[in-house]
Amino acid sequence: MSNEMLRAKGLHKSYKMGRSVVRVLRGVSLSAKRGEFLAVMGASGSGKSTLLHLLGALDLPNRGTVEYENRDLFGLPRSARRAYCNRDVGFVFQFYHLLPELNALENVLIARLITHSAGSWMGARRQSRADAGELLERVGLKDRARHRPSELSGGERQRVAIARALVNRPALLLADEPTGNLDAKIGGEIMGLLTELNEAGQTIIMVTHDAQVASRAHRRLQLSDGVMSEGGTDRR
Amino acid sequence: MYKWFLAWRYLHTKLIAFFGVASVMLCVAMVLVVMSVMGGFLDTVRERSRGMLSDVVLEAGSMQGFPYYEEFETYVAKHMSDIVAVTTPTIVNYGLIRVPDTSQTKPAQIVGVRLNEYCTINDFKGGLHYEEYFPGTTTLAKQPIAVAGLDPNTEKLSLPPELEAANRKWQESVGDPEEIEKYESLPYATSAFPKTAAPYYYDRVFAADIGEPKYEGPEHMGLIVGSDVLWDRDKQGGFKRYLARGTRLALTVLPLTPSGTLTGEPPVRIPLRYADDSRTGIFEIDSMCVYVDFDMLQQKLAMDAQEKIDGGFTKPRAKQLLIGLKEGVDLDEGWARVQAGWLNFLATLGPNVDDGDMTRLGFVDVYTWEDLQRPLIAAIEKEKVLVTILFGLISLVAIVLLGCIFYMIVEKKTKDIGILKSLGASGRGVAGLFVVYAAAIGVVGAALGTLLGSAFVWNINTIQDKLAQLNPALKVWSPDVYSFDKIPEVVKQQDAMWIAIVAVIASMVGSLIPAFLAARVWPVKALRYE
Ligand SMILES: Nc1ncnc2c1ncn2[C@@H]1O[C@H](COP(=O)(O)OP(=O)(O)O)[C@@H](O)[C@H]1O
Ligand SMILES: [Mg+2]
Repeated sequence: MSNEMLRAKGLHKSYKMGRSVVRVLRGVSLSAKRGEFLAVMGASGSGKSTLLHLLGALDLPNRGTVEYENRDLFGLPRSARRAYCNRDVGFVFQFYHLLPELNALENVLIARLITHSAGSWMGARRQSRADAGELLERVGLKDRARHRPSELSGGERQRVAIARALVNRPALLLADEPTGNLDAKIGGEIMGLLTELNEAGQTIIMVTHDAQVASRAHRRLQLSDGVMSEGGTDRR
Repeated sequence: MYKWFLAWRYLHTKLIAFFGVASVMLCVAMVLVVMSVMGGFLDTVRERSRGMLSDVVLEAGSMQGFPYYEEFETYVAKHMSDIVAVTTPTIVNYGLIRVPDTSQTKPAQIVGVRLNEYCTINDFKGGLHYEEYFPGTTTLAKQPIAVAGLDPNTEKLSLPPELEAANRKWQESVGDPEEIEKYESLPYATSAFPKTAAPYYYDRVFAADIGEPKYEGPEHMGLIVGSDVLWDRDKQGGFKRYLARGTRLALTVLPLTPSGTLTGEPPVRIPLRYADDSRTGIFEIDSMCVYVDFDMLQQKLAMDAQEKIDGGFTKPRAKQLLIGLKEGVDLDEGWARVQAGWLNFLATLGPNVDDGDMTRLGFVDVYTWEDLQRPLIAAIEKEKVLVTILFGLISLVAIVLLGCIFYMIVEKKTKDIGILKSLGASGRGVAGLFVVYAAAIGVVGAALGTLLGSAFVWNINTIQDKLAQLNPALKVWSPDVYSFDKIPEVVKQQDAMWIAIVAVIASMVGSLIPAFLAARVWPVKALRYE
């Protein structure tokens, strides 16, 4: 088994804006190893989110490939790509994106629920609730499980989002500016949590425009003008 | 699984679900009320129109009637006793009814019946008025007038012993002291004509005289009048009876020859005594029909056996032969058997049947009661269908409305849909979520609507009375228009079930387009911004 988990090659993505075409990615390549904590840096609007969405198979590139465990994601049938979204990666967004009608525990559970039919859920229910509870405890929200997102602070919401991303035990965690909306102190705590997870073996790809935040990663890449360049290696 | 879970959550956390539920509920309640009331109306008419006839009816094609009905009765008793319980002939004719005391004259449809047989074959007895309070005393046979005795000291009235005994029988069968008290408190009126404006309700009217109760006057055959022939109704739907029981009435009829020409004799005037009044609940019948003894009417109309110039006798004739089927015999099957039996019977008659009789027999048809009441029932059936369609159309508006509500929900939930999709939910799954949500709204709305509609129908008379108290113009149901005392209050489970099912399906249909839009939401677009 190769040590390489994810490899993107020659990704192109452009958006049509009326008559003009914005070419956001112009041949981006990168690879991530198992257990690695990778940071992609770039200015706002440089295409970091676009790239991360492609890696998470939430969007399709104009050109290029993303291989996960040596399988080309965009060559897979749609149902297999959905399984990838659900099981192999966990996505953490800058704006948390929790479901407002559900409480913290249910927001974590929903990622589990999606793959279950009513029948199979009966069997998986207790284990799933236990797992979700454990994850909330791990992100430090044990006593907030019954709270709705509107009753939680930004940092707490992001913790719930991280717990949700992890509930299906994905091999890869994708984080899109996870601290972008938080103040320095809370952002630091979230980064601490991600570092901890990484130390426990979780592979993480994170994008950020903040060099301070990126410094927690093993390896940093720089995205600018639609292409990738090496931005430094592990300082540790 | 998440579909059910989220649909459930949306259902009780989103205000907009309330609007969806409310609109389904109101539509279901509305259609249920309309169908129940119209259906109840229809059933009442059917039931009551059946009450006048029998299961199967042999009817002559013209007023002169048809011969050999007695022979057919014998034939039926002999060959068809497995399905036929009773048979009885009737004559239907037209004439004038006159009240000599008031010089009032009115047209009437005269029905000649054998009262005992007639009462076993249908519900006629249940609609008789005096028969209820004085069971066993209504007869079409010869009778004098009963005069109540008035004690000049106590001002108390007493009826002849037979009537008092009959009334006691009624009191025993009722058992309810309140009901009896109500009866006791009602006044006797000795003679209430010319019509007085007295405010009370003439429920029972007897002639009265100082002295002992007695029977008086020459005996005449009895006459039962349709309840709306002579009486007006008060606002509560009660009848303003103003003639004492036993009052003299007169019928005038025109006898016809078997071939349908006038006999040349002057019109026949028949003196009768008012024995009772009959209420079938069908205004068309109660405002026209009067009932007399079959054999007497047959004779007066010269429809009995008449001596012929060339010797021999004509055959007695009847207008209808009512045939009551045994319990459990299917109506259509019974009809087919009677029809076949009738043809068989005709074949046995042989060659000595008079030519004219043969023609009249050829015009006899076998009907079920439903066939005969078709014009009356069909009109109401059509009305029911029409009103249901109208309200169905209104419900169509509700479906569109639901579609709009779901569209708004999908719009507002675009981000959630993006989240679900980013977590691996399929387009079909998300669409399913909204259909399940719609179904949930449909189910809750239909359940509440069924409750609301049923409650409304069950209390519709109370509601209408309350409304009428507020403003008399709101009294839509008036017994003197609709011949029923009350608006029907029955909800049929089957109707309710179908309406509920259609409502649930309709809500799901209303959600299809928005669900389709939801399925097409592209996750990254939905998630790009906060
Ligand atoms: N769906 C879209 N339609 C049009 N333009 C888009 C769309 N998504 C992103 N863009 C454009 O692509 C560029 C990169 O966006 P994004 O990947 O969000 O950058 P970043 O996350 O680095 O701030 C921006 O200029 C943005 O306006
Ligand atoms: Mg971004």
